[in-house]
Amino acid sequence: MKDYKVLKFLDRFKGLFKKFDIDYKAMRKILQVKLLLDSRRVATVLQNNNSKNDDKKDKNNFISSLWIYLLLGLVMIPLVLIGESYIFQMSIVFGIFMFFMITSLISDFSSVLLDLRDKEILLSRPINSRTLNMAKVLHIFFYVSMISMALMGPSLIASLMKKGFLFFILLLAEIILVDLFLIVFTGLIYMLILRFFDGEKLKDIINYVQIGLTIIISLGYQLIGRLFNFIDIDKIQFSGKWWSYIIPPIWFAAPFELILNNNRQINIIAYSLMALIIPITSIIVYIKLMPEFERNLQKLRNVGMAKKSRSKFSDIMGKIACRTKEERNFYRFSTNMIKNEREFKLKVYPNIGFGFIFPFIMLFSLSVGSKFSEVRDSKLYYNIYFILFAVTAMVQFLDRSGNYKGAWIYQTLPIDYPEYIYRGAVKAVFINLFTPLYILVSIIFLIIFRIRIIPHIIAAYLSMMLATSIIFKINNKDLPFSKAFSVTEKGGLLPAFLSLIIEGALFAAHYFVAKASYGVYIYIIMALIANAITWKYFFRVQGNH
Amino acid sequence: MEPVIRIKNLRKFFGDKMVLKDINLEVHKGEIIGYIGPNGAGKSTTVKIMLGLIGEYEGQVNILGQDISSGDINYKSRIGYVPEIAEIYENLTAREYLTFIGELYGMDYEVADKKAEKLMELFGIQNVYDARISSYSKGMKQKTLIISALINDPDILFLDEPLSGIDANSVMVFKEVLAELARNGKTIFYSSHIMEVVEKLSSRIVLINNGEIAADGNIEELREKSLEGSLEEIFNNLTGFNDHQEIAKEIVATIKGVE
Repeated sequence: MKDYKVLKFLDRFKGLFKKFDIDYKAMRKILQVKLLLDSRRVATVLQNNNSKNDDKKDKNNFISSLWIYLLLGLVMIPLVLIGESYIFQMSIVFGIFMFFMITSLISDFSSVLLDLRDKEILLSRPINSRTLNMAKVLHIFFYVSMISMALMGPSLIASLMKKGFLFFILLLAEIILVDLFLIVFTGLIYMLILRFFDGEKLKDIINYVQIGLTIIISLGYQLIGRLFNFIDIDKIQFSGKWWSYIIPPIWFAAPFELILNNNRQINIIAYSLMALIIPITSIIVYIKLMPEFERNLQKLRNVGMAKKSRSKFSDIMGKIACRTKEERNFYRFSTNMIKNEREFKLKVYPNIGFGFIFPFIMLFSLSVGSKFSEVRDSKLYYNIYFILFAVTAMVQFLDRSGNYKGAWIYQTLPIDYPEYIYRGAVKAVFINLFTPLYILVSIIFLIIFRIRIIPHIIAAYLSMMLATSIIFKINNKDLPFSKAFSVTEKGGLLPAFLSLIIEGALFAAHYFVAKASYGVYIYIIMALIANAITWKYFFRVQGNH
Repeated sequence: MEPVIRIKNLRKFFGDKMVLKDINLEVHKGEIIGYIGPNGAGKSTTVKIMLGLIGEYEGQVNILGQDISSGDINYKSRIGYVPEIAEIYENLTAREYLTFIGELYGMDYEVADKKAEKLMELFGIQNVYDARISSYSKGMKQKTLIISALINDPDILFLDEPLSGIDANSVMVFKEVLAELARNGKTIFYSSHIMEVVEKLSSRIVLINNGEIAADGNIEELREKSLEGSLEEIFNNLTGFNDHQEIAKEIVATIKGVE
């Protein structure tokens, strides 16, 4: 079996792992197998992948998804270099860095931590649960550190050249510390949920916590800027508030201020200590609690009492939205799959959090300094377009399933037109996941902007519908629920940028057409026609049929 | 002689539901236990508890003289396990998977590799040793699982429906292997719904129903107790099932769409 360089590097810390009662040899084996598995594409049921020796093609396609982080990393260089007001600069830098890392952890790597398959294969063998959990953590760490290097690598190189060795080492050490801290932090949160909940409720809570965390992090990120008074660019004042103690990027920025600027203010020292002590304590606590984590994971298997739940809303909407019997059937099938698909929810629900919070973040940051009555009468309700972030992942992961092997039914059933399958499935996510979210956000917007914006709310909803069909057209060509989830294929940034472009275009169309008198109604009619066309033609996919 | 497995007053709850109600069981060296019962009776749960895959039970479980709740997992290196619905890393080849498992048991790569290859050959599937498991037929996969359970020369074997998907010739070989292993002092815990096989193979039959042991003894003892001939009939009798003909008629009527 292929031996990986990372593992050889890891060998140096052998002694450390042994101290924590970890069977290093076994852990190394597990990691080796994991990395090998990541490099192999999961054969789908629908392709006849019977070729016996494609080992030579083992290739990890994770790296190719990193360039967008690299781009972002390049943009961050000026922030690091621009001045010597470190508490400010580095708070922003760590803010951006931690924001991307934790959102990636929550949506892309939760499934690794909460994986049950490993447990069943490995724990009947003489492997202790601590060893298995450590292997999971390091498996995640491997990918997380690659993202970190893409994101922070440019800054690291630039700082080595411009800011000197001390700065470089400090930054590097903190990046590693932050990565470990965030993985362990996510792990501890899941551990807490696993301890206190059980059965069906547990599965729901995990998804709500994902949504909640995404919202809190997006908000917390907004707060960093509020800690500084921009008197003039050279003299940015840090105004520590009591709540700056709960904003982690501030902790990690403080050591730069402390060491490089010799700032001995009491709060700077306190933050610096927190940057060191809190991550290390969390790591130790996490390692101590690992066996409990694995033990409680079993709860995810426990099935609660079956409750017959069929939503009236979903049924009625399905009848309205789907014209043919076949399409309605696939609508219902997809609705039920989405409701119960654990991994799908793990990946998609954090994005619902984004979709919820972004319209408000944008609304508030654009209305800073204005009176409420001004905002009320303004056109800021267009910020509802930022809800589109929720759509992307929904459509993107629609072809994935933990039970992807069930997809053999597509081949054996007498189905003539695969477009029914696609359209039914996309309608299922749009109606059951997106629409309730949209209604919720709309209600809050209606309270702020009053009923005058109802036509715009309708127009924007139609835009979203249009965007959904367009996103499907560019993204998805595989049958719903027919592919396995894999660690190395990321959701996240690139599709988010694409939807940003689509959103921009639709927003612009809406905005300019609405400028004319009764323009918004004209836009509604235009959007209706466009929808009729895209929903008719965009789903005619040349599939495997 | 100290029993290999000793279960005392074992209880297990899932939520409020008691799925195992005071299981008491002692298993000795060289026994082949046929562990049978209707679906959902608690068979797999018992086995998973013994393997440490499910925790938080009441009562005592000793395996090879060791209380498994102590946290010491060394007893697992002397156990082989073929689960009913087996997870397996399908994107590995059998060579990769089996050597991986072998090494987890503390074997050297070369030793595990040689042993696995030889066993693959004896089971008639050495030609796919280097192919991905995802391309295997059900029987090949099952044989690979069986090999992964035997590779460490375990003292206790837990087999849950191990013959599913395996061709008749290999079934014959495998049954003989189990008998031979038992003669060598290995203990086998055999769970299946195929009563003919259980009847022929087991030296002792334990029937579990509704989380309780409904019968425990060799086939003659069971026959005396329930006054039935075959194990299948004994099974029906002890689990209180006797309307199979009516149900069958109703099923066929339903298929045809007759009200």
